[in-house]
Amino acid sequence: MKKRVRRKGDAAALEMTPMIDVVFQLLIFFIVTLKQEDILSHLDVSRPSPDPTPVIENDIKDLLTVTVHRYGYMLKGKNRTLSQLERDLTRLASFSTNVSVIIRCTADSQHARLVEVLNLCAKVGLKKLSVFSM
Amino acid sequence: MPRHKRAKSEGSQVDMTPMIDVVFQLIIFFIVTIKMDQEINEDIRLAKAEHGPVIENEDPRTMVVEINKKGWISIHGAQLSRSKFTNIMAARKRRLGQFPVLIRGDLRAEHKDIRAVMDICAQMGIWRLNFAAIKQEATNK
Repeated sequence: MKKRVRRKGDAAALEMTPMIDVVFQLLIFFIVTLKQEDILSHLDVSRPSPDPTPVIENDIKDLLTVTVHRYGYMLKGKNRTLSQLERDLTRLASFSTNVSVIIRCTADSQHARLVEVLNLCAKVGLKKLSVFSM
Repeated sequence: MPRHKRAKSEGSQVDMTPMIDVVFQLIIFFIVTIKMDQEINEDIRLAKAEHGPVIENEDPRTMVVEINKKGWISIHGAQLSRSKFTNIMAARKRRLGQFPVLIRGDLRAEHKDIRAVMDICAQMGIWRLNFAAIKQEATNK
């Protein structure tokens, strides 16, 4: 009696082997193609129109100009390294983070330098950033 | 003696159900997490900016513009001339009005090439631009 019941059960069971094969193939495919992505930060800037009038509506004393050139940075007419620039910006931002920062880039400066300045501004909390080109 | 036989046959038959459950769970996880819209250019090396803000819900209208180290402009992996890029931006501006622009500029690109893209955006009346930078690098790259 018992034997008969078992035989019936065997017939009802599906053949699992091919399904498991396929499922494992899929699993391996997804594991191999899974790639972790970099976490991106979005550095927000405003790009003024070629006509400079809309920008200079701000109070002139709240304006800070950082120049980015190929070999370094300039702040208030003086050459600065990245660490010096960081110190200066930290000090300036401690008075007010409401300062408008104008970042002027020379044509041959690398994009990485601009991003470094934007990163510093984000670090010290300066939000009003404009990018000019020279 | 008969008992012994039965135990043997049952022992050889492994119960597959929990394993299949787990494997299906894994597959569903991978299917859900996989991103098929990876049209980003792998050759572009972004600069690092660990202090920059992260945008959680990106505006779906965002236009991603890529600039490689030679200054070539591409959108969705398709390389474009500046005039073609201008046309695309103009058409999009007409259709959508203001839309966010994300610039993925290679860290070795020169500013004049970034400037060209920014100037085209400014021509269209798009003043707010975003630069993409790496906040945290992926661990298994």
